[in-house]
Amino acid sequence: MTRKALITGITGQDGSYLAELLLAKDYEIHGLIRRSSTFNTERLDHIYRDPHDPNRKLFLHYGDLNDGGQLTNLIYNVQPDEIYHLGAQSHVRVSFDMPEFTGDVTGLGTTRMLEAIRHSGIKTRFYQASSSEMFGDSPPPQDEETPFSPRSPYGAAKVYAYWMVKNYRDGHGLFAVNGILFNHESPRRGETFVTKKITKAIARMKYGFQDKLFLGNLEARRDWGFAADYVEAMWLMLQQEKPEDFVIATGESHSVREFVNIAFAHAGIEIEWKGKGVEEKGFGTGHVMIEIDPRYFRPTEVESLLGSATKAKQKLGWEPKVLFKELAQMMVDADLKELEELKRCQDVIRKLSDSK
Amino acid sequence: MTRKALITGITGQDGSYLAEFLLAKGYEVYGMIRRSSTINYERISHIQERLTLIPGDLLDQNSLIEALRISEPGEVYNLGAQSFVPTSWNQPVLTGEFTALGVTRMLESIRTVNPKIRLYQASSSEMFGKIRETPQNEKTPFYPRSPYGVAKVYGHWITVNYRESYGLFCCSGILFNHESPRRGLEFVSRKVTHAAARIKLGLQDKLWMGNLDAQRDWGFAGDYVEAMWLMLQQDEPDDYVIATGISHSVKDLTRVAFGSLGLNWEEHVVADPKLFRPAEVDFLLGDSRKARGRLGWEPRVPFEDLIRTMVNYDLQLNQR
Repeated sequence: MTRKALITGITGQDGSYLAELLLAKDYEIHGLIRRSSTFNTERLDHIYRDPHDPNRKLFLHYGDLNDGGQLTNLIYNVQPDEIYHLGAQSHVRVSFDMPEFTGDVTGLGTTRMLEAIRHSGIKTRFYQASSSEMFGDSPPPQDEETPFSPRSPYGAAKVYAYWMVKNYRDGHGLFAVNGILFNHESPRRGETFVTKKITKAIARMKYGFQDKLFLGNLEARRDWGFAADYVEAMWLMLQQEKPEDFVIATGESHSVREFVNIAFAHAGIEIEWKGKGVEEKGFGTGHVMIEIDPRYFRPTEVESLLGSATKAKQKLGWEPKVLFKELAQMMVDADLKELEELKRCQDVIRKLSDSK
Repeated sequence: MTRKALITGITGQDGSYLAEFLLAKGYEVYGMIRRSSTINYERISHIQERLTLIPGDLLDQNSLIEALRISEPGEVYNLGAQSFVPTSWNQPVLTGEFTALGVTRMLESIRTVNPKIRLYQASSSEMFGKIRETPQNEKTPFYPRSPYGVAKVYGHWITVNYRESYGLFCCSGILFNHESPRRGLEFVSRKVTHAAARIKLGLQDKLWMGNLDAQRDWGFAGDYVEAMWLMLQQDEPDDYVIATGISHSVKDLTRVAFGSLGLNWEEHVVADPKLFRPAEVDFLLGDSRKARGRLGWEPRVPFEDLIRTMVNYDLQLNQR
């Protein structure tokens, strides 16, 4: 019997890696996407099949986490065996500028999903994308028992969603789990997230598309892993006999500054830092490549996250495969390759127009 | 200069006691009222001509901004919420909209209109839920057990976040259960005293109850609203637990209520399994030493007096 999975947030980084993973495991996948006048499915292009292809296993449906009625219809009609709820307004800095929207989509959106499951009457397993941002300024290392202390409207919304999942597990007997994932990156990461912002900038600066990179707090420390490793943990959580919450992390903490240094070094540039505070600058190949822009500071910061994934290792047999340095290098390579290809195409076009 | 305060949830128990309290202190008191085809001003009808009522709704941010513009308050008391725990199990999304997101909307409105406004956020002992330690104080980790509790946890954290991020003077008042003759009939304390009165008057025979073993820290709402005001008078914003420090079971409450009328509760109380909660909060006991020390606050009305007062009120009410 083909297992069916519903993924919200399928157009995002995690959603696309998870869809690949589940397709490889022969699942029939249903993804929730928002209607938009511009295409938002680039991360799925490589696995998307035309609706007329009888063998296709990936189906996309319009819907929105602020539309509870439609979610109920969808879940009732699809009857998924597993639901991976990854959809959210997921940018911490943006949550300060859109706190109500973030609370509505990232917080209440989970309640709408849980209610949709309850009202549709189906039997299913539910994965909630919880976040290390819930730990906020609780001192590291953080594990499943660490108290929450969120430091942003995003963190507050994720705390809300975490507890709603526990509520439905305890109160309604739903197989619902919280995956408390620490930061996880990849070449598919959104460009406004700091890791991708850095590696993309390196490539753009190398090929002359960009002069400088502006960053915020260089000292913030995070536990960064590879998204494709992490989606496997999500799947493993739903295969267990009993629903439980798990921290997923590498167990290593690094600063934004370290990421910058390693990423630039991989592209052959040694960064030299001069100055302090907002005036600090990063010099590479003799000129200023990195400056600080206070607009990227958070009103309230999470200084240090470091996850302990011992429980996941013991009970799920999960371990991260790609660690910090390899991750940074992978992302730099991917961006260099993409920009190299772009540059090559541009050169071809220029030659063609020059020769006219 | 006359001080001005805006109260959301003014038609509720706490709102009405707070309005009286602030009027007595010489405030100009504004209350935000939702549009309804049925009037629900019973708790404030005795002071209504001294209040200014403004239409607004916690779901509608523009109306909150408008309410702040009209009232120009120095203090806002955000008491409005969907506040009934059992309802939150049936309508969790709605509860989230009012009780959780409503707080974000109010904070944003204050930040937009006048960041100097001081905000009191009505947080709740229900946030402690499946308690992680006894007694519960401001540092006890939360473990909410209902969509109401979860929404209140969110409301607490977003309040803390706005204080830390923007320097707003906002306080999370973590009030344990607080009752009075004005308590809604659906809440167990009032449900029991009201039924006891009616049974005494021969208007009713049986009382259906849920979990009699649940234990709560019950105080008098009239005492607790003073704590809300005190929090906003301090030099620095902070969060405080407000509680009596004494816990009683629902069974105790029932026994005192019926006993005060010479009735034996066991002859009238019937268990109704439908009234049990999907996930229960078994025991709450609050440690209010911080409030006693810093605010000089203490509860005045002891448990038995509180219940007896409520019973007497309900006896009079049902005699008409």
